[in-house]
Amino acid sequence: MTRYGMLINTKKCIGCFACRTACQRQNGLLPDEDFIRYEEHVNGSYPNVRIETVPLQCMHCADAPCANVCPTGATHISPDGIVLVDHGRCIGCKYCMAACPYQVRAFNEKEGIADKCRFCTVSASEGGTKMCTCVEACITGARVFGDLDDPDSEVSRQIKELNAQPIKGDLTDVSVFYVR
Amino acid sequence: MEMTFEPIWDSIIAWYLFLAGLGGGAFATSAFLHWRHPHAVTMRKIGHLIAPIAVAVGLVLLMFDAKGGLFHPWRFALLLHNPFSVMTWGVVFLACFMVVSIIVLVMDILKKSVPRWLEIVGAVFGVCVAMYTGALLGVCKTFPLWNTALLPILFLVSAMSAGAASVLLTAIFKHPEEFNRAGVLKKFHFCLPIIELVLVAVLLFITAYNSTAGFSSVWSLVAGQWAPLFWIGLVAVGLVLPTVLECWLLFFSPKEFEESRKAHYISAASDAAVLVGGFLLRFLIVMAALPVTIS
Repeated sequence: MTRYGMLINTKKCIGCFACRTACQRQNGLLPDEDFIRYEEHVNGSYPNVRIETVPLQCMHCADAPCANVCPTGATHISPDGIVLVDHGRCIGCKYCMAACPYQVRAFNEKEGIADKCRFCTVSASEGGTKMCTCVEACITGARVFGDLDDPDSEVSRQIKELNAQPIKGDLTDVSVFYVR
Repeated sequence: MEMTFEPIWDSIIAWYLFLAGLGGGAFATSAFLHWRHPHAVTMRKIGHLIAPIAVAVGLVLLMFDAKGGLFHPWRFALLLHNPFSVMTWGVVFLACFMVVSIIVLVMDILKKSVPRWLEIVGAVFGVCVAMYTGALLGVCKTFPLWNTALLPILFLVSAMSAGAASVLLTAIFKHPEEFNRAGVLKKFHFCLPIIELVLVAVLLFITAYNSTAGFSSVWSLVAGQWAPLFWIGLVAVGLVLPTVLECWLLFFSPKEFEESRKAHYISAASDAAVLVGGFLLRFLIVMAALPVTIS
């Protein structure tokens, strides 16, 4: 089986927001609609201080709370582990937005639907289409993408090597792992 | 201490949660009246009238808030798709409640006697509607202020309180004689804000100790952004004032005064305060909830 996932290395992230801009362009999002949000932390104490930018997006949980609460089945999980929204089924009740503990669902005010990261980078790699996804836009290579079920994939190797972890323990069964 | 967060739902949803509970509570109040005060026919009919109207207004608000459904109404037909969603259960309860309460209302208008079993069925669905509104928020792990089994209980107590208050308030102006004789209902109604006060206190204590986000949410209610509305609106006006007024009217004032017009106006003020408290409870719980810290 294929289970797509991502690694985000905040040690490499410089907080330039290029991933968000690329995502908005690639997915044709509204100016105020973001699939990626950022949390900023000041770690350590003077003089050994580091500013850490943490890009947050859909974790594509295998046990996605947003899909569990969606009354219409608009939010669903694809066989390869991607949490997707069927726009034609979404009534815009925002229940998924309340249920997502990572607060990474985005509301499309124009269509009145709750959207989210589509892991569009999958179609880029599968179909070989030239796309500018968050992974390609990152100038420092902080994002690695691939098949978590393949132990030889780049993402699996780096997760192991760099001891990448879910952003918040076992809150949900995530497909995005962080190096911090 | 203070966190900034744009709430996902706003006052429209708070109004819906309040009206759904009020409708369920009003129907249950009518069933209670039939059991303990069978002579109070007008009051019973008042409850039967308020119930479907309140819930219907709430549902219209809900549909206006769900923009995707508003723009494409047929999508609402998909609402029964996921049996594991509390919202799906809510839709079932709301549909059953609306059907029963409208049938009962039509029977009242046609002057037919409503069978006891139908009243009980309606009251059960009324309780389900009131409780599901709490479970709807309660299953969201995101917000420690909601994510507790206390919430459906608190919303149920508040719903019964608001429902009874709406029936009593209308009865004061439509049928004061029946109002005077509904002593058992009034005593039950008197107890509800006290129970609610205890439940609110427990909810805040437990949430404050549960997590950072829980503490911040509680803090924003008791000492932060929402403190004036919480203390003055919910606690003082919505819970303590009705308790004090009803306590005095029911247990300390002379019988002649209790049935005077002046006492009726005091009772009306108390019931209006209960309704204000019922709305503010939903509003504050919706608005003050902060999400768990992630990174």
